[in-house]
Amino acid sequence: MNRKHFLSSILGTGASIPFLQSGGGNDQQPLTIPQYLKPGDQVGITCPAGYITLAEIQPAMQQLAIWGFNVRIGDTVGKRDFTFGGTDEERAADFQRMLDDPSIKAILCGRGGYGMIHIIDRLDFTRFASKPKWIIGFSDITILHCHLNRNFNIASIHSKMCNSFPDDWSTAEPLQAESILSIREALTGNSVKYPLIPNPNNRAGIAEGELIGGNLKTIETLAGSRSDIQTAGKILFVEDTGEYLYSIDRMFWSLRRTGKLDKLKGLIVGGFKVKPDDPGEEFGKTVYEIVTESIKAYTYPVCFDFPVGHQKNNFALKCGIRHRLEVSDAQVSLTESIKAL
Amino acid sequence: MIKIPPYLQPGDTIAIVCPAGYIAAEKAQSCIDALKEWGYQVKTGKTLGGDSPNYFSGTDKERLADLQQALDDDSVKAILCGRGGYGTGRIIEEISFKQFRKNPKWIIGYSDITVLHSHIHSNYAIATLHSPMVSAFNDGEYRNEFVQSLRNALEGRKIKYQCAPHEFNRKGEAIGELVGGNLSMLAHLTGTSSDLKTKGKILFIEDIGEYLYNIDRMLHQLKRSGKLDRLAGLIIGGFTDSKDTERPFGKTVYEIIRDVVKEYRYPVCFGFPVGHCKENYALKTGVGYKLKVSKNKVTLEE
Repeated sequence: MNRKHFLSSILGTGASIPFLQSGGGNDQQPLTIPQYLKPGDQVGITCPAGYITLAEIQPAMQQLAIWGFNVRIGDTVGKRDFTFGGTDEERAADFQRMLDDPSIKAILCGRGGYGMIHIIDRLDFTRFASKPKWIIGFSDITILHCHLNRNFNIASIHSKMCNSFPDDWSTAEPLQAESILSIREALTGNSVKYPLIPNPNNRAGIAEGELIGGNLKTIETLAGSRSDIQTAGKILFVEDTGEYLYSIDRMFWSLRRTGKLDKLKGLIVGGFKVKPDDPGEEFGKTVYEIVTESIKAYTYPVCFDFPVGHQKNNFALKCGIRHRLEVSDAQVSLTESIKAL
Repeated sequence: MIKIPPYLQPGDTIAIVCPAGYIAAEKAQSCIDALKEWGYQVKTGKTLGGDSPNYFSGTDKERLADLQQALDDDSVKAILCGRGGYGTGRIIEEISFKQFRKNPKWIIGYSDITVLHSHIHSNYAIATLHSPMVSAFNDGEYRNEFVQSLRNALEGRKIKYQCAPHEFNRKGEAIGELVGGNLSMLAHLTGTSSDLKTKGKILFIEDIGEYLYNIDRMLHQLKRSGKLDRLAGLIIGGFTDSKDTERPFGKTVYEIIRDVVKEYRYPVCFGFPVGHCKENYALKTGVGYKLKVSKNKVTLEE
């Protein structure tokens, strides 16, 4: 383990060691892939960000049991401190226990919301780094994906969380069901291939590289911190919800200006639920136009409307693992590379 | 060493340009009249008013050209930005500061114009002016002490600002260069070539219309990118129209800020008159100030 990281983790919240070199470079250690899950393995559920009730995680618990996993419910499930799943101390302690407990093979976050940033610097990843396990979630949990990727290069799963498991599978929409089932596929080591319908705004091409990304606003707010991602040579995916167009534009400028767009192998644009412009403040560009303008100086493939984001079709993606993105006029696919390097 | 542009003399020219959002020409009339009354000549750029169909005061090219012209025109002694909004960050890397560095002039504005303050401070160490813009002059408000503080600043008068104490204030005295502006912009610029350097300085922040959780998140970004731990002092301005989510955040804006900086020892004052409100004093960014926070009052002087 890198001494700097060790130091900052023991320094706790007081530590604010700036890593100002954003975006471009790549000083990573080799990728570690946690062990895939087998029937009987234990999955921990915890809430590092927003709160969720015990009742709300029942569908997830039942499904995990059907998949053959044992479930450990963390102390923060059912806890609430305003919007948070318990106080910072409680959320950090619960997450730390799950990181350190060797019997837990995967940590599924209850939901996103907000709050991960309060505890990320309190967590000690020493034991986790020596015995990695899967960390599962998205949205605010993007902080974990970025932090783990940047500091330890340990693969993690970007996917839906407990709050999105259908109450009743018989009436669940196919896309929702498929999105949830993709978590199981990812967790058990099935390499996934996601085909999708081409969008006329796509830029054709083939890219191969490590997959990295998540919620765009979260990625922006990690810039300049020790959780900031490095994107050179990688395939970046981004999604967001509830942002104004001008804000989405500004976030793509942040990616540009922090050097995260120029050395990409490929770009995957997921769902962007846009907050309507205020009257008289019409931005005048669509998300497609914003993105297209941002990447016009480069030549790598770009695809839009990828099924990742705050929506029903949000398929599990393995961050850190090599993928192949193929974008043509006829089809688009993202495939896990056969052998991760 | 920080370079301070020459203060203005009667007869000097101020250019009004809009590097970000659109503002109608008629909304600048009170401002133009007042600047003339103060003894200045006014040049208006093509981006003031005009026929832009959208949010921006012109295309990136037009906004860039207008600002560039004002920067390069040696007869212009100060550039007043028409308004903020959004857009300066889209052209900042295209601007040539070559002539400006040879012949510094005052760049005036706030909100989105924080991009210019931060960029110029960190790259060129030239003082700029964080202050009310064009619309602050409207409705007879050009007489108020906040708009007048812009006049005083332009004339080179050193003013000692005072503000009421706040229960969250942390007492102490700080001396350092004053830097800062809009929190959203400072967070957004982190990791870019316009990123603000804050070590040993007095930082001021303000914002408008942001969700509480987002203010919290941006403060954590400043903290985690090393902008809060080695400050000389911190000035908290207005956080107007802050919004809460359906699931309440559980803290007020000032409680959020107090808690983020509670581990540090430097003086902090809350409720300083700077922000998206009438109470918005002109502040010279990059210039040395002394901040005194005591039980009964707060003063900020050059």
